Amino acid sequence: MERDIFLIGGGQTKFGEWWGRSLRDLIEEAVEAAFKDAPCTALDIDLVVIANMLGEIGSHQAQLGSLASSLLPHRPPAVRVESACASGALALHTACAFLESGRAKTVLCIGAEKMTDASPDAIAEGLMGAADAEVDRPSGITFPGLFGLIAARYMHEYGLTRDDLSLVSAVHHSNACHNPFAQFHSTITPEAVSRSPLVSDPLRLLDCSPVTDGAAACILSTQMPSDLRLRASQVATDTLSLTQRATLTSFSATKDAMGKALTEAEISRSEIGVLETHDCFSIAAIINMEDLGFAEPGRGVEIYRALHRGKHAPFPVNLSGGLKGCGHPVAATGIKQLLDVGKALRKNDGAIGLAHNFGGAAATAAIHILERTHA
Amino acid sequence: MPDSSPTAHRALKTKRCKLQDGIVLSCTVLRHPPARFGPRPRPVALIALEDGARVLAPLTQALPIGTHVRSRLRLSHITAEGLRIYDATYEPLVLSKNPVPDFPGYILALTGPSGVGKSTVSAVLMRMFAEYVERVPIVTTRERREGDDGEYRYVSKRVFTELQKEGKLIAMTHIPATAEERWYGYRASDLERIWKAGKLPVVITEMHLLQGLAERYGRRSILSFGLLPPGKSKRAMLSHLLHRLRLRGRETEEHIKDRLKNAEEDIAFFSRRKDLFDRILVNENVEHVIENLRQTVPGLSEARTEN
Repeated sequence: MERDIFLIGGGQTKFGEWWGRSLRDLIEEAVEAAFKDAPCTALDIDLVVIANMLGEIGSHQAQLGSLASSLLPHRPPAVRVESACASGALALHTACAFLESGRAKTVLCIGAEKMTDASPDAIAEGLMGAADAEVDRPSGITFPGLFGLIAARYMHEYGLTRDDLSLVSAVHHSNACHNPFAQFHSTITPEAVSRSPLVSDPLRLLDCSPVTDGAAACILSTQMPSDLRLRASQVATDTLSLTQRATLTSFSATKDAMGKALTEAEISRSEIGVLETHDCFSIAAIINMEDLGFAEPGRGVEIYRALHRGKHAPFPVNLSGGLKGCGHPVAATGIKQLLDVGKALRKNDGAIGLAHNFGGAAATAAIHILERTHA
Repeated sequence: MPDSSPTAHRALKTKRCKLQDGIVLSCTVLRHPPARFGPRPRPVALIALEDGARVLAPLTQALPIGTHVRSRLRLSHITAEGLRIYDATYEPLVLSKNPVPDFPGYILALTGPSGVGKSTVSAVLMRMFAEYVERVPIVTTRERREGDDGEYRYVSKRVFTELQKEGKLIAMTHIPATAEERWYGYRASDLERIWKAGKLPVVITEMHLLQGLAERYGRRSILSFGLLPPGKSKRAMLSHLLHRLRLRGRETEEHIKDRLKNAEEDIAFFSRRKDLFDRILVNENVEHVIENLRQTVPGLSEARTEN
């Protein structure tokens, strides 16, 4: 990276269904928690980057930059960014661009989503905005449907079984029990996943991340050092529609972003000690293990088999509970992942961690690599 | 995107392109489809069409991967304004009684533009490893020509269509030609017979047939080799092909022109669909290509050669 960028503080709301709180309330709570954690005041912020996907549909609210900026006494410049579920990571990437260029010295990044004010149908339609509106939507496909197609093809090509697929959610729920901010604090067995109602074959209810309200905020600075330094921030894209891709069983945007991030960080995969990855559906977590280069094609599930046996092989994955266990307030996820990587590095005395966030069917993928400098 | 008249009008342009037969690449059933489609579970599939394009479209029923389907226009839904929206829906050509096994066996595929030397390589393979490999005949509607070496089974367009409707063709393609109507395909029965005999089926193929085979039997069943002519640039490769096509003297200038036009597309396909190839070989020398195949294809390295 062009300059040293430090993660100097962060905070989040508890993820869940918060009928008593509005989008503004969630943003306010996360920002307050971030300032409480950081060695700076609101007046040190010279830019706000806010990530949000469904403001207009879920809350009839656009202009979120101004809304977030107005929470600070000096109302700094603010921008809103959106790339569906990767919006949070895109906010971090945008902040890095401002910080690296010297245009800003300390940036407040916020990711927020209020999903339970609108009807489930309206939210499902809104989420389909992450696919190709002219090519995909007319068929009636939904996002669980798109990942159902991916899972069916993956099972056909690699022989993945239903029992194997169920391990993913079981592992993530088990991790979520230790995260006070997680939406779910209950363990589930693989058998319960396999018995849950079908959503879109072969995916079942407990294969899918939930609808969640929540916000997360973090403060990045080139002026104030901390023990957590960003080593890489990379984004890559792919076609919006699955119909224009060569394969259903791998996401090229993840591979591209990972390759560029490792080069930027000048590290090898083996140095990564903590991973937060984007498990919007259980099949995505398995494919991610392969696309990130931690498993051969068709063998991503072996990592989850080891994790389910209680082993951290090759390292802990989604200690926060991931999107399935912790919840998935769309645009908040990318920022929450970076905070969780930082927490895990401090807790486990680790050196390097990685956050992998993607949007849609991985039409946008982002990788952030965080280093603990005093590890 | 709202279901407005302008969007419905724009969608009309793409509907015609969707009205083709195809193969199911993946299928799911939406238990809770969007409200405009009603409450019934909705089967939706990703379908590879005959022209190589892929579409997401509803099915009349849930179907296994690899099923051949045909399209028809059906009422999709009625908008709040009363606009009746029609879209392509796909139904099985023949209900498959024998679903495709997960891994039926290996197929050795040689893909490349006309004139690159696929037939020569295949002929040498057949001669050297007669006990281990067998060429899969190509069913075609094109006319018999002097120089054809028995690789084709000639049928009329009517018979070809019947085979297709009965689900007996596993991969098929239409090669654009100004001179005649050309359809090519492989019969499932031919491949199954070769596997039963304990041999490795060899297909000399092109992009749509290769995609069709991968979609039907799974990519991992295909030992896929691309053959390119020598040459650093596309122009040099095409010039090499032209030279070879003229040299073998089997075709008229008109046919050669057609083949070159298709060859350009074939060469572009190599870089566009790298995932469909295990190895890309430059055919400067047949012996080198054979040696490469021998080292890579399971069983051939230990095989006894016949001289």
